[in-house]
Amino acid sequence: MGSNFFINDNQDVLIEILKRLDGRSLGVCACVCKLWCGITRNDSLWEHLCFRHVSPPPEGVRTVVVALGGYRRLYMVCVRPVLNRLRKWRPIGMETDAEIVRRVYWTRHEVELSLSLFCVDYYERVLLGGGGGAAGGGGRHGGGGDTGCTSSLMFLCKAVNV
Amino acid sequence: MKRDRDREKGSSSKGKNWASVEEEEQPDAGMDELLAVLGYKVKSSDMAEVAQKLEQLEMAMGTSMEDGISHLSTDTVHKNPSDLSGWVQSMLSELNSTSISSNFGMSSSENQLIVSGDGGGGSCSSIIDFSRGNEEKKTTTAISDDDLRAIPGGAVFSSGRNRNEVDEESNKRQRSSFCSSGGSNSSSGGNSLTDSARPVVLVDSQETGVRLVHTLMACAEAVQQENFNLADALVRHIGVLAVSQSGAMRKVATYFAEALARRIYKIHPQDSIESSYNDVLQMHFYETCPYLKFAHFTANQAILEAFTNCNKVHVVDFSLKQGMQWPALMQALALRPGGPPAFRLTGIGPPQPDNTDTLQQVGWKLAQLADTIGVEFEFRGFVANSLADLDASMLDIRPSETEAVAVNSVFELHRLLARQGAIEKVLDSIRQMNPKIVTLVEQEANHNAGVFIDRFNEALHYYSTMFDSLESSSSSHNGITQSPVTNQDLLMSEIYLGRQICNVVAYEGSDRVERHESLGQWRARLSSAGFDPVHLGSNAFKQASMLLALFAGGDGYRVDENDGCLMLGWHTRPLIATSAWQIAAEDDGAGEVELH
Repeated sequence: MGSNFFINDNQDVLIEILKRLDGRSLGVCACVCKLWCGITRNDSLWEHLCFRHVSPPPEGVRTVVVALGGYRRLYMVCVRPVLNRLRKWRPIGMETDAEIVRRVYWTRHEVELSLSLFCVDYYERVLLGGGGGAAGGGGRHGGGGDTGCTSSLMFLCKAVNV
Repeated sequence: MKRDRDREKGSSSKGKNWASVEEEEQPDAGMDELLAVLGYKVKSSDMAEVAQKLEQLEMAMGTSMEDGISHLSTDTVHKNPSDLSGWVQSMLSELNSTSISSNFGMSSSENQLIVSGDGGGGSCSSIIDFSRGNEEKKTTTAISDDDLRAIPGGAVFSSGRNRNEVDEESNKRQRSSFCSSGGSNSSSGGNSLTDSARPVVLVDSQETGVRLVHTLMACAEAVQQENFNLADALVRHIGVLAVSQSGAMRKVATYFAEALARRIYKIHPQDSIESSYNDVLQMHFYETCPYLKFAHFTANQAILEAFTNCNKVHVVDFSLKQGMQWPALMQALALRPGGPPAFRLTGIGPPQPDNTDTLQQVGWKLAQLADTIGVEFEFRGFVANSLADLDASMLDIRPSETEAVAVNSVFELHRLLARQGAIEKVLDSIRQMNPKIVTLVEQEANHNAGVFIDRFNEALHYYSTMFDSLESSSSSHNGITQSPVTNQDLLMSEIYLGRQICNVVAYEGSDRVERHESLGQWRARLSSAGFDPVHLGSNAFKQASMLLALFAGGDGYRVDENDGCLMLGWHTRPLIATSAWQIAAEDDGAGEVELH
């Protein structure tokens, strides 16, 4: 028998593993224990998730995104809904989910659109006082108040009639 | 107008009612199969004739609607539902022997074809409504509230052209509502019934809606002819009819009826349209539907592309409001290759009644945002009652070698058409600013015709489509309850549109500021003022399409490219148009700048 290997003792390995997960799994991981919760809240994980399939990521994005609320929020508020909606929008072929993710996910246009929407979200949330949507839209994302979306992005939170 | 989902369900439940009654009967050879599903036996060859008779019958029935016809719906029994032809014939012969009067001659024992729609909510009696094609156009004489013979034939299917138009529109509505109701389980029987009946006549529960439209148009015509007594009677009738509708149609009818009433009674509330209130309304409109977002994103894309390789940029915004357009542009500038330029924004807005400086507040917030994302920012606000009060020299335009200028107008230029000479002055000022690009977003409709009735009809169609799109983009079809915010948003958006409706219909002269004009008209105007069109490129198109795909109910929205301009519409009807312009080249050389 080898020596016991506790993943919690080897956080760098843990992080490497988490880097390869999709958003939903990351969310699940955040519920495992306090340590994992703390690690998954690390924004660089979410940055990796957002831009994993885009190379190279546009320069200067990090400063902007961090200033506007961080990658985790970007993912929850913009990237995930955009991904979900657009996946339904384009014809779904015989690809596996992973392939769809890669194909649909991140072209330059989706990046730009997501970032623009994210900026609008920041403007409304922080500067215009939230527009009343923070409470209403927060529930769906389950991350608590800080990931509720503003009124102007409520359209991303609503169920799509497909 | 469209038949909305509720009425589709109404017709489906009607189908179920009759089908359950008559389910033992099989469709016979020669009988129209689809009507047989509903329990009627009509020979296919007889269809046209039956339909015509139904028309005549309904007109006769309809004239005394206010006279307590409701007892007929409860007391009467339809004796032989399947023999539609015979029954109609008997009704007509009964009717033709007595003159049409407001005391409706038919007793309660007569057979009636009144089917109520879904029991809950508003009654949705499917009274079939058609023209009295055989009657002469009546001029109006003594009018009482009950005497609705006076609906002039001219407004109500006077000519074949009108009928076909309305039929086609109704059919388009049916088609479009059929497409958009993909998720709902409306009965296909009901829909295919109307499909097969399309070349002939409408034979389903949309008729109250058609009747409502007719009454609206009749009322507008009465107003046009300055027959205010008649118009008054009709406006009240609209109120009665509107209540029986549901969804978008009721709202549209209510707003138009109110606007007509204002016009008739000349009630013009001292309309200090509180700009802050209007801003709030527009914010909600921004949130519920994609029109404003589309406008902002497409305009921003054009501006962004015009500003490539410029180190100092200046944007003049003709209606700053809350400045919702600019965060996205600033973010795009921040992330453009080569880094952001120095960004200067001049915002123009109306004076506030309480003297608060909203422009400065918005500017301050935008400055904070710019600071957050690392863009050099400068803001200047101008308060002006009208754009024509400004000219280029006030705006501190710096020489174009150092600074590139963009002028942005979203739903603002049409207001200038209310005053003589204002638009020319403003276009001239724009020229003096020497902008690199001018972005113009306007409603795609002609609400500025000289003739009232034309304006009214155009507005009716336009706002019906708008309300339709609002309705379907905010209703949820999978049972997820809407948060209160959403309903409030929807309501505020409707009020926002309702104010526009009121302005188009009820006001005149310099008060009527919602003078929308179509893209073609704006093109002519700008071309003659010395501007050349700039094609919005494929980037703008893609971004707009993606944005729309994100919206619930996104199936209904359409982005179309029209000779370099982008139009956003609901199904087949374009509703707003974005176009971009530059100063016309003086010499023969430059030609158009093609944005890609």
